[in-house]
Amino acid sequence: MRKLLLALAALAASAIVVPFGISSSHREAPGISLDPSADNTDTYAWTAKDAPGALTVAANWIPGEVPANGPNFHSFDDRARYYVHIDNTGDGRPDVSYRFRFKTTVRNKESFLYALPGASGYRDPKLNVIQRYSLDRITYRGKRRRANVRTIARGLPVAPPNIGPKTFPNYDSFVNGAIRSLSDGTKVFVGQRDDPFFVDLGATFDGLNVRKLTGNQGEGKDDLSGYNVHSTVLQIPERLVTRNHRAVAGADAANAVVGVWSTTERRRLQVSGTSARRGRWVQVSRLGNPLVNEVVIPLGKKDQFNRTTPNRDAALYGKYVVKPELAAVLNALFDIGAPENDRTDIVQALLQGIPGLNQHKGASGPPAVDTIKLNLGVAPAEMEDRFGVIGGDTAGFPNGRRLSDDVVDIELQVVAGFLKDNKVPLGDGVDGNDKPFLSAFPYLAGPTSGFDSAPSTRTEPGHSPTPAGG
Amino acid sequence: MKVLAPLAVFGAVLVAMVALHGSATAPPALSAGADLGRPSGDPLRDARAAVRAAPGSADARALLGEAYVTRARATGDPSLYARADRVLSGALRRDPGNVAALVGAGTLAGLRHDFREQLRLGLAARRVAPKLARPYTVIADAQIELGQYADAALSIQRLVDLKPGLPAYARVSYYRELTGNPDGAVRAMRFAASAGGAPESLAYVQALTGNLELTRGRVAAARDAYMASLRTVPDFSDALEGLARVDAARGDLRGSAARLRRLAPNRPPARALAFLAELELGAGHDRAARRHLRAAAAQFARDRAGGGLPDAESVLFEANHGERGRAVRLGRRVWRAKPSIRSADALGWALTRAGRPREGLAWARRALRTESLDPMFRLHAGVAARRAGRGREAARQFALASKGEAALSPAAVRLLRRFKR
Repeated sequence: MRKLLLALAALAASAIVVPFGISSSHREAPGISLDPSADNTDTYAWTAKDAPGALTVAANWIPGEVPANGPNFHSFDDRARYYVHIDNTGDGRPDVSYRFRFKTTVRNKESFLYALPGASGYRDPKLNVIQRYSLDRITYRGKRRRANVRTIARGLPVAPPNIGPKTFPNYDSFVNGAIRSLSDGTKVFVGQRDDPFFVDLGATFDGLNVRKLTGNQGEGKDDLSGYNVHSTVLQIPERLVTRNHRAVAGADAANAVVGVWSTTERRRLQVSGTSARRGRWVQVSRLGNPLVNEVVIPLGKKDQFNRTTPNRDAALYGKYVVKPELAAVLNALFDIGAPENDRTDIVQALLQGIPGLNQHKGASGPPAVDTIKLNLGVAPAEMEDRFGVIGGDTAGFPNGRRLSDDVVDIELQVVAGFLKDNKVPLGDGVDGNDKPFLSAFPYLAGPTSGFDSAPSTRTEPGHSPTPAGG
Repeated sequence: MKVLAPLAVFGAVLVAMVALHGSATAPPALSAGADLGRPSGDPLRDARAAVRAAPGSADARALLGEAYVTRARATGDPSLYARADRVLSGALRRDPGNVAALVGAGTLAGLRHDFREQLRLGLAARRVAPKLARPYTVIADAQIELGQYADAALSIQRLVDLKPGLPAYARVSYYRELTGNPDGAVRAMRFAASAGGAPESLAYVQALTGNLELTRGRVAAARDAYMASLRTVPDFSDALEGLARVDAARGDLRGSAARLRRLAPNRPPARALAFLAELELGAGHDRAARRHLRAAAAQFARDRAGGGLPDAESVLFEANHGERGRAVRLGRRVWRAKPSIRSADALGWALTRAGRPREGLAWARRALRTESLDPMFRLHAGVAARRAGRGREAARQFALASKGEAALSPAAVRLLRRFKR
């Protein structure tokens, strides 16, 4: 599923970090390990019930933030750039991009405190560290796709990490101050939030109880409860993202489908450069559909996947989707008869879009691209089903991705062959997030505070088995 | 209920398969009913569980090998090297093209100062996964230690082109430092610290920033960097040692010694013990100094016990505090194993101290072939030149050494001042 799994796995595994107390004189340079400040954890794209004429996107970074991480709290990297991309033609290239650039200022450099007790707002001098951002909107013109960059907001505050009730007696004032409406009708929020992803990661290590394992009946422990992430949340009027610059008339409209993903860039440096001149930017992370990077892309290709854009996905990585290793593993573990080859059903569900629902109109092929494809004309569901489309709720994953969609269960079942009539009630036993989502912007739940330092644990109540597809 | 074993895919063996994921081979045969348990927070234990669950899996073994390597680095316990070696060799027997195992084995070879083996393994990993950044870290580190600086520049450039981030930026910085560009080195290190990563990695690059600032003579900036490092990882020994250097650079030798004494019980690097011994000597505490020198010698011996080759630092230690003939012999051995500028400097200094300044000067010049501004290299070159009767060359080297005086040990500072007069 997403990057956190990888991160935790890598932590557990191999994080070749750097040595304490090395005694040799040669330099122990750090190995490639985790790069949390550039690491996309999850991307969500949906139509919010209270904003039917807009595309709502949440993109998260920095996996597994432990709330009590002082005195150095997590933040976006001032020297990186963070993107949300929208493809409105289906070719896997961005047509509109939103770019976040950050700048941190420290009011009192002598103090190591993030804030003094009682800090009440962004102007309060008791808030010692403040990160602000500018937001660029980028469109692309002509055959050479020249980028046209317009800065649509400057100096907006990032909601600080929730250090605790003594430091921030009224944390919500920071949250409210970070919700901004821009002149073109776009709404934006950037700051720390509760990680909306839910999964029983630990159960993956649990004894392989074959009798119960294919049930979907709760009792899983949400291993991400109590952890935070850094989020950017955008709510963009449809006319600003559709291919004809108009609002979407209905689900059948030619401009109804958009593909969404997020990326991070870092600067390249010249090794032997003596000037202070800076190098070009390199994309180091991307995330469209959950699971693709972690489970589908083999290790030797991961860096390349993170560098490339979706338009090359079919050529570079198609074979790993058509013959997914996960299906073979599921069969080896549970003998569930998951088809292991020719999985064009997965390609269609995740990468091409479902015909008549979230396939781009007029895209020939259509190309297989790892974007979250959302039909903006599909009205939000009154009653959301955590299984989304395979549960009969066409307003959910993989038509877009809502915060509450149970993508772990959905993807396990799809890989097991749900769309090829092999319906196996797989699941991780966790059906929802530990904290309720908000009914209004920015939708993601508030972060766990550093004061409640021990990450909470939430166990899904047991329930009678849920059949495949919910 | 806990179904979740499917997720196990991400889990243990599972970790191996998916996270590290070598070749896209068939899933490892799971032993029936293997109880992997929840992730314990102890990577070594989890990796052992992965190997038990999938005894035939090269990935699981690679994972365990890397866990040993990481533990060996964290604890400085060289006996773990042998175990890591066994496990990684096992992984490579099962799958000679396993990238994770090749990278792990290459890293291990580097820790043992076997840089030719490190380079071989890094190149093998690159052949298997040419688009992956990780092998370039192994390759570049080996090339640096083998004195192949032009090749190292290309490898590091490739690394930073493929995947800019803390590991790449830190290596860009080191290359710039070695080639006499400390300002550029500090700039690159700021990128590394800004990107961040695992706390140990961040604390390490923050401490390195402090070291660079000292060589630029910016003592206050160095102190800020060490303090930042300590906020990232409290009691990080490189940063504490750095603060002791800051104290010494500001003339507070007693404060510096007090700081290092607090560090002494925790098996600090031999370099820090030698530094403390020099401070004690300067203060007339000869007995304490001898004790710290013995501890430093023991630390060097421990490093070698793990199968590691001796390094330049042990040559310098022998030349400064041990037996000079032995220092020269050791210096030649070190040079043969790793012909780097650091080795050249150490051998040259051993020769100079042994009363052979002409030879010492020839080696000192080799140490300066990348135009490093390392104040210790410059001091050694200056002393050799002076004793070889080359006064002008000596004066030039002493002037350059003075600029980085803040980064020199107390004995080196005394030496520099004596010769400059």
